[in-house]
Amino acid sequence: MHSDTRWPSLSPPGLTPSEVGFLCEMEHVTVIPRQTLDGLELLGGPTGALKPPFPTPLPLWLALLLKKQRRANITPPPWLSVEALTQILDFETDERTAELFSPSPDLPPSTTSAPLEGDPYLAHDSLELSAPFLKDTATARAQADALPYHWLEIGHLLITHAPDDFEDLDAVRKLLRDLREVRMSKLRKGFEVLDAGGGVKMNGVGGMEIAEVRGFVGGVVDGLRWVTD
Amino acid sequence: MAARLRGRPAHAPGPTYLSYTPNGKKLITVGVNGALRVFQHGSDNEPAIIDVLTDGHTAVASTNDFIVVGAEDGSVTKYSLLTNSMEEILVRCSLPVRDVSLSKDGEWVAVASDELEVKVVNTRDMTRIMHLRDQSRPVKHVSFDVSGSTLAVSCTDGIVYMYSLSSEQPQLIKRVDGLIKTLETDVEASAKVAWHPDGRAFAAPTATRARSDWQRQKAFSGGHRADISAAAWSPNGALLATAGVDKSLCIWETRSQRLLKSYDDVQNAILAIDWHPTDNVCSYTNNNGELFIREDFVPGEHAKHLRIALQPAPMNNDPLSEISGNARKQVGNGDKPNGVRRSAEDQYLDDLLGPDAMSEDEMDFIEDDDGAGYAEETNHVGKRTAVANGGRPAKRHAPFATWNPQVHEAFQPGSTPWRGDRRYLCLNMTGFVWTVNQDTHHTVTVEFHDRQEHRDFHFTDPYKYDKASLNEKGTLFSCRPSSQTQQRAVLYYRPHETWTTRTDWRTQLPAGEEVTSMSLSESCIVATTSKGYVRIYSLFGLPLKVYRQKSMPAVTCASWRDYVITVGNGSVGGDGTTRMLYTIDNIRRDELCQSEDVVALGEDTELRSVFFSDKGDPCIYDTEGVLLILLHWRTPGQAKWVPLLDTKTMDRLASGRKDETYWPVAVANNKFHCIILKGSDVYPHFPRPLLVDFDFKIPVSSFPAGAADDEDRDAAQQKNLEEQYVRASLQHSLASDLVDNTNATSAQKAEVPVMEREVDKALLQLLAAECREGEERGMKALEIAALMRDRTGKMLEAAGKIAARFQRDILGEKITQLAERRLVGLVDEEDM
Repeated sequence: MHSDTRWPSLSPPGLTPSEVGFLCEMEHVTVIPRQTLDGLELLGGPTGALKPPFPTPLPLWLALLLKKQRRANITPPPWLSVEALTQILDFETDERTAELFSPSPDLPPSTTSAPLEGDPYLAHDSLELSAPFLKDTATARAQADALPYHWLEIGHLLITHAPDDFEDLDAVRKLLRDLREVRMSKLRKGFEVLDAGGGVKMNGVGGMEIAEVRGFVGGVVDGLRWVTD
Repeated sequence: MAARLRGRPAHAPGPTYLSYTPNGKKLITVGVNGALRVFQHGSDNEPAIIDVLTDGHTAVASTNDFIVVGAEDGSVTKYSLLTNSMEEILVRCSLPVRDVSLSKDGEWVAVASDELEVKVVNTRDMTRIMHLRDQSRPVKHVSFDVSGSTLAVSCTDGIVYMYSLSSEQPQLIKRVDGLIKTLETDVEASAKVAWHPDGRAFAAPTATRARSDWQRQKAFSGGHRADISAAAWSPNGALLATAGVDKSLCIWETRSQRLLKSYDDVQNAILAIDWHPTDNVCSYTNNNGELFIREDFVPGEHAKHLRIALQPAPMNNDPLSEISGNARKQVGNGDKPNGVRRSAEDQYLDDLLGPDAMSEDEMDFIEDDDGAGYAEETNHVGKRTAVANGGRPAKRHAPFATWNPQVHEAFQPGSTPWRGDRRYLCLNMTGFVWTVNQDTHHTVTVEFHDRQEHRDFHFTDPYKYDKASLNEKGTLFSCRPSSQTQQRAVLYYRPHETWTTRTDWRTQLPAGEEVTSMSLSESCIVATTSKGYVRIYSLFGLPLKVYRQKSMPAVTCASWRDYVITVGNGSVGGDGTTRMLYTIDNIRRDELCQSEDVVALGEDTELRSVFFSDKGDPCIYDTEGVLLILLHWRTPGQAKWVPLLDTKTMDRLASGRKDETYWPVAVANNKFHCIILKGSDVYPHFPRPLLVDFDFKIPVSSFPAGAADDEDRDAAQQKNLEEQYVRASLQHSLASDLVDNTNATSAQKAEVPVMEREVDKALLQLLAAECREGEERGMKALEIAALMRDRTGKMLEAAGKIAARFQRDILGEKITQLAERRLVGLVDEEDM
């Protein structure tokens, strides 16, 4: 149809940073409720009942809402602690690993090895989850030594909206900024080798980082392709 | 003593230290600012001031003519007391100096800094310097003994290193491990070794206060409740003055290790104490730049102790450790936790060889002037000193005669000791109660986790409540009796919600009776008292029952609904400590569930907390970090303690980087809720730390979680399944116990089949793993199939399917046979 042919040229391909920022609010974080609340039946699935002081995982958007109303505290995920961020930053700036981005969280053990048909207790779907869909990347159970896909967005949101839940806010803020700058410069260094057939290894790069450079990289590659053609 | 004790502001607020010259004429203080002060003894005039270039002074030591001052910039400077001016910089360290100590002749000064090595510098010729390099971590304190030939080095790794400096080359003669606590170099708490003036013994603040005698003496007289920050022997060794970071100051009698006096008017933590060499004056400096010179320090009736001649150190085998507050008494020749004592082997050798065989000249300095014959006792390095007068060998065996058992301290679960001017009275899943010491009164604050349900409150507390218990319905407080105001022990209950105007009540205990622990449940109030009574009240203050506890003295109690668990000291076990016994009582039905059963604790392990889980099962947490739950406790004689979680084997500690322990709060939602304590902390402090929860993990096998290759991962997975099976079985039996013995709700009843299915699920997964391994594992697979709890046959059917899938036909056949026999009732659980 008419509109179909025009739309792609109007909106940039892929997700924009604001869309990524919106999607990250679906990630679960751990909250410590300050008052009771029954479980809610949400589109994204039911949430657990809130009963102080038991920590409960909730979608980030709901957690931020409750935080704003002072009905809950948010426990920052383990990777958002000063020690963990320092460790990750060390990895990023270490000479030996200077080429790499710090690895993303470990994948859950593979589930497709031995499916057993017709067995109610051992049955499982053969869906293998990976980066944006991993569970528990921002709850209190998250892996401490790896930045998850949405690290930048979640870190930013938590620092802005739940500053009193951090032990050492300024240090965390500073580390996040350092990390972002270090990784951004690595990405930029990768673009120096961009040409029509070039590639950059982007393992471990977060969603927001991709969204931020997508416009530029896409433009450069397209332009190069146009020039070489 | 003056009417009101007034500190002399000696320095800018901050850590301040002092030293008396050996002749007692001058007192030197150093602090954070760039001046030293020299007070004349017995004069109220302004002190002389030595202006210096350094600031942030951290240590001082003095002789009659000069003083040696260490500073944070790493310099150790010598100042003359004759001209009140600087003489020379003795040594420079690259890191802050933490302590200096002068030998008695003033010849050598030992310098502890944040560097690894200890430097011993000659005060007259600074080019002569000895380096002591055996420590692995920075040193916090150094301390010369009276002869100046032995140097005790308290290292931050928790070991006291003993160096002999008698030869040109310093020699490490002993590592005393496990005596002091691992402290950072800049904390207020001290690990300094204080040598007894007779040179054979020393006192040191110890690591495990739970086992220490400070704690025990507190039971009689209220000694220190927190780490020791300073200690000093009186010049003749008859008395010991100690100060704690909890702002306490105590005088102890050396001979009997009795607390003579405890001062409660100390406002800031004392960092250094020194006795005047001759007078009844003791001075101390605190962390606020103030100097206090206490005249008539020792109260009149005890002042005679100061006038007597040099007293022997209390060496009768153990009083030494009793003073250093570190060891519990030993009866056998077992492994002695106290490094100061001689090993059993030594003792055996000595018995064989006679008194002189093991003597060493090194310790000849002892002046056995009163002929008391104490010289044949062991000295601090566990060696026999030279015997000048033949001695009395029989005395060696004195400990066997004077032995007395070690009794467990009473404690209130969920409370912490004073730290600074505040402490938690109660910390649980409902909220927390904390109190602030305002000298004349306390202020108590109660905060709730659920801010919608309850409103936080705060009140001024003239009674100085020292225990509290909090639950959804109300708060219970109790205070100690006071001899000054004739106040008796009081229980005070304050419900959160009322529909009449006022329902809180107070009740007084009979005179002389003190609450040792108490507990509040949804239906009753329990208090154990110092007279050995268990007093039970209704929530409206009606006394319901009073009975005497069978095992006394009481240790602690906890309650849940109508169930009350009381823990007391029972008979003495083989290791010289009492066994803890518990009794579980249903007060409504007046039934004993368990009577005087043993609280299963390992050797050298203490009880940290007792509480009921949210499902109403008693749980204990011990100092080894193991959480145990009581199984089958509703049937008399059937109870057993089952470990739920060994926090030392948790995955988060596997890397070895984390140094943390856990302070138990609750067992709820099938999780262990606790507070993480970093480093050597024993109790949580302010600001209130976050609650953390951990899943249960029964210590079935130890297998590292982060296994590298696939084979390891498979094995780890297997161990995981095994643990899951044991845990599910435990939870199943807890749930079915509950349903069998109480009027269970339908939700509780529904839980039993769920747990049963969990057990079978774990078994099925184990079975699948066995089938995958191969045909030869068939026997084990069949055993697993036979363990299935399900009686409908569905589970065995599933098991058969798994066997078929892996083409284990024989196994499949056997499972089908088993299922058929079960279906017709041929195989019962007893047959298997």
